[in-house]
Amino acid sequence: MSSDSKETAKTPMVYICGECHSENEIRPRDPIRCRECGYRIMYKKRTKRLIVFDAR
Amino acid sequence: MGEYSDVKPTVKEEFGDPVLYSKPIKEIEEKWKLVPAFLKVKGLVKQHIDSFNYFINVEIKKIVEANAKVTCDADPLFYLKYTNVYVGTPDVDEGFNISKSVTPHECRLRDMTYSAPITVDIEYIKGNQRVSKTGLLIGRMPIMLRSSNCVLTNKSEYELAKMNECPLDPGGYFVVKGQEKVILIQEQLLKNRMIVEESKFGIQCQVTSSTHEKKSRTIVFFKGNKYYMSHNSFTDPIAVSIIFKAMGLASDQEICQYVCPHDLSKFTPTLEECHNLEIYTQEAALKHLGTKLVAKRFVTAASKVKTPVDEARDLLATTVLAHVPVEQFDFQTKAIYLALMVRRVMDAQSSRKAIDDRDYYGNKRLELAGSLLSLMFEDGNWTIKRFRMERQGVTQVLSRLSYISALGMMTRINSQFEKTRKVSGPRSLQPSQWGMLCPSDTPEGEACGLVKNLALMTHITTEADEYPLIRLATNTGVQKVTFVGGEALHSPTHYIVFLNGNILGVVKQYKYLLDSFRMWRRAGKISQYTSIYLNKSQRCIYISSDGGRLCRPYIIVENGVPLVTSTHINEMEKGIGVLRSFEDFLHHGLIEFLDVNEENDSFIACYERDITPQTTHLEISTFTLLGVCAGLIPYPHHNQSPRNTYQCAMGKQAMGTIGYNQRNRIDTLLYSLVHPQAPIVKTKTIELINFDKLPAGQNATVAVMSYSGYDIEDALIINKASVDRGFGRCLVYRNSKCVLKRYANQTFDRVQGPLVDPTSNKVVWKHSILDSDGIVAPGEMVENRQVLVNKSAPVSSAVPGTWAGTSNVEYKDVSASYRNVEPSYIEKVMVSTNEEDSGLIKILLRQTRRPEIGDKFSSRHGQKGVVGLVVEQEDMPFNEYGVCPDIIMNPHGFPSRMTVGKLIELLAGKAGLVEGKFHYGTAFGGSKVQDVSEELMKHGFNYQGKDIFYSGITGEPLEAYIYSGPVYYQKLKHMVQDKMHARGRGPRAVLTRQPTEGRSRDGGLRLGEMERDCLIGYGASMMLVERLMVSSDQCEVDVCNNCGRLGYCGWCNSCKSSGHVSTITMPYACKLLLTELQAMNITARLTLTHYCQ
Repeated sequence: MSSDSKETAKTPMVYICGECHSENEIRPRDPIRCRECGYRIMYKKRTKRLIVFDAR
Repeated sequence: MGEYSDVKPTVKEEFGDPVLYSKPIKEIEEKWKLVPAFLKVKGLVKQHIDSFNYFINVEIKKIVEANAKVTCDADPLFYLKYTNVYVGTPDVDEGFNISKSVTPHECRLRDMTYSAPITVDIEYIKGNQRVSKTGLLIGRMPIMLRSSNCVLTNKSEYELAKMNECPLDPGGYFVVKGQEKVILIQEQLLKNRMIVEESKFGIQCQVTSSTHEKKSRTIVFFKGNKYYMSHNSFTDPIAVSIIFKAMGLASDQEICQYVCPHDLSKFTPTLEECHNLEIYTQEAALKHLGTKLVAKRFVTAASKVKTPVDEARDLLATTVLAHVPVEQFDFQTKAIYLALMVRRVMDAQSSRKAIDDRDYYGNKRLELAGSLLSLMFEDGNWTIKRFRMERQGVTQVLSRLSYISALGMMTRINSQFEKTRKVSGPRSLQPSQWGMLCPSDTPEGEACGLVKNLALMTHITTEADEYPLIRLATNTGVQKVTFVGGEALHSPTHYIVFLNGNILGVVKQYKYLLDSFRMWRRAGKISQYTSIYLNKSQRCIYISSDGGRLCRPYIIVENGVPLVTSTHINEMEKGIGVLRSFEDFLHHGLIEFLDVNEENDSFIACYERDITPQTTHLEISTFTLLGVCAGLIPYPHHNQSPRNTYQCAMGKQAMGTIGYNQRNRIDTLLYSLVHPQAPIVKTKTIELINFDKLPAGQNATVAVMSYSGYDIEDALIINKASVDRGFGRCLVYRNSKCVLKRYANQTFDRVQGPLVDPTSNKVVWKHSILDSDGIVAPGEMVENRQVLVNKSAPVSSAVPGTWAGTSNVEYKDVSASYRNVEPSYIEKVMVSTNEEDSGLIKILLRQTRRPEIGDKFSSRHGQKGVVGLVVEQEDMPFNEYGVCPDIIMNPHGFPSRMTVGKLIELLAGKAGLVEGKFHYGTAFGGSKVQDVSEELMKHGFNYQGKDIFYSGITGEPLEAYIYSGPVYYQKLKHMVQDKMHARGRGPRAVLTRQPTEGRSRDGGLRLGEMERDCLIGYGASMMLVERLMVSSDQCEVDVCNNCGRLGYCGWCNSCKSSGHVSTITMPYACKLLLTELQAMNITARLTLTHYCQ
């Protein structure tokens, strides 16, 4: 986990556009706007970590 | 309408051969299909949308026109004139003067307002020239969803889905700062009409005038054998004779002719008043009035110029009875109006029948979004000072618990009455509400009867143009009132015609007027929502075209035959809206709208079999008299009435589906069912409002029997295997919001990556679910106190003006963290910007919950209950087929509740199961018990719906047959998980040191006054001490027995000694009281004695 955060600290995060579903790299303090379609709503990608659910 | 004239023609003359009527009228099959046709055109929230459309397209122009010219005191040549206004389509400013069209859903997500620009064209003087400009932006107007300017209107389902909008969503609300807001329908007493009522002083006639410019109230009343008029611009009540003189009716004879030509004795004392005050001319009367004026609050230069006489004349012309127009100071119509008011008071004095009923629904008007917005557009506020109107709770956040709760909110009517008043009149069900308002859907308790709901087919009118009505009236023999003398007004052969509260004229052949009016309306030549009705005792005909009247469509019956035939219905059915739509029925004069007043003047048959020669109209379908919420109940006509009312309240709390777009929404709280089902026993209303497409509940197999002791007091036993299979499983979505602001001193909020513990080089637990951008990742499980967004805000610099450099700004941690003992999962993380261009992060959290002991369920018959026990399927009883019930319900729930509808629902549901079809439980109709039972029998089931059951524990057959079958059950939003609460030790309030209050603050459980009384009564004094002091705010205090004041550390500061100081225990609240009293210069002295002395 720790090595993970060190690596990604510099690289920008990838967000998905709510309109055209294209992937956008956005740095902190960048305006939030899709490069393809100009839509202003972005969603985060699902976690890479393993999630275990209780089957109840 | 059957008895217009006093000379009755024979039945044969009037209606034709009576043999015609003796043959039964065939029932029009499937005529209820007009209801979906009506809803297709009108929709459930059409009232809101129509009203808003009227406002933005018509009324806003009228308002601007009325206040078009702006002049300047300093420069008399200057003027500014508004020549036009437009409301555009919703957009959002993208910066650099670029605007982009927005969808309502984007506004919801980004916390923006769904609004459109208002632009004006103006014309003004610049120097010596007239300059005109077009398209100037003067403001923004929130746009109602699905109104004419909304992007959603006339869109296909596909297009709506593209815009993330649910096609079944009714619209009719606004999106303001991301919140959906509804302007509730407001009920008011009607304006501009005479209302005769009983007041403190006796009988009075009151008129509340309301025009675009002025609002005022004029009252005529009787006091000490004289008639007076009071108005809030005069200091005292003034004898009406003086007013008449001031209006130019100088001779007493003329006055008498207008007021009461036949009985002068009553009016003589009033006339005498004039002579006592020596007022004989108009001039003298105005002079007298001039002395009675209320002093103006703001004295301007312009008002000083006027003499009191002029001012009084102005007041009479514009403010008194403001809605009666006065041109060139010709007061004749106004005088006649006032005379009529006096006359009404006289009539009511001789016969109490003439007193109006304030609660009668024809005397009510409903204000919708459009008219309320227009008030705000003029005034900017809903607390309007000039008319002492206080409005609160006009707009409310649209409740999105379920589809029904949202729909129910759109049809809700709020009454302006004070809730505290203990009068039953406005709360009780008025017969005139029949078919207009739902008789079942009203809340219990405080607002009972004051909050009402519209019935299914009710329409609320918008204003229509008066001009064609005036022309039609004059063409059908209405004479102007100014042309006839006072005698004619009161002759028994003449009828006074009113149009929207104003006297239009006098007519002799009133029947001809009524008939031709109705004929033209049916022909579509005048607005279909105008109404005309006769009041025989007042000898008046009232024509209304104003907005806010409730009306409802009826099939027209002529000569005992309904005009709508099966052929018409077939034509409509073949291609709904193509061959014949609801509008065509209206245009062809087969159906017409009646408002409450006209309804009262008609003979309406409920069914074809009730049609008599007098009948004028036929009901379209009886089930439409119920509203949206009551329409969900199967067989409501078999239930005790309050049960239906309970269900109306509970249907709004049921979890289910809220719309096709529910997964795209990020609401503060959203409940949804994992496996919602359409009910097996449907109603027509369910289909009409699409409840079967957005259901809120599940068809549970219910056995009506007792099982263990965990089913007392309406508790339910549920099958564990059913729960495992997903019965009653629900999703609870909550959101967490975070705004990243920019500050004036160039600093801003920032989001940082997760914190790493320097010793172990691992991310701290609190931040373990954060991504490198400092925001949680979707899919993660969050536990109590974990951070969702690691936000930090700059500490504002102490010295304002100093430019905080970007490098040395101090930040403090203001992270958004999760606070709930039960963990949640991150469903979705949205990153965007809001209207002010600051960052916005919305996190959607999900919990999946299976039913547990204490969760609340309810059937559709006001029968709620909590889960008392979850039983393994092995222990559940089963029938011959091996079917196990999902729910066991105790039969004691039935006898006292009398919910026979539930029993029939079970039967019809069971028959539906074996037959493989849906049954109907529509109000006043639906599948009959006999048919349903026979269907059951056909499939080898018991006729009465009972089955043999075997005990799940012993395997023996049960001694009784068990009534079992499917019943539609709703899971209500009240769940134990959100309610359970206990505390040992915990936080305390700072001031009193007592335990905090409420579950959210981990508060204590209060031992209240009544509980205290019990302990006192029992004499458990030590327990009292323990509850009220030891377990609450126990405190050790030093008291000086010499001076009786409080000391500290064994030292008395006033005696400067420690000799008499002793330590006692008391509640901290008591100590606080003593010190606070001391601070107010009151000393409470304590005297201590030893325990045993």
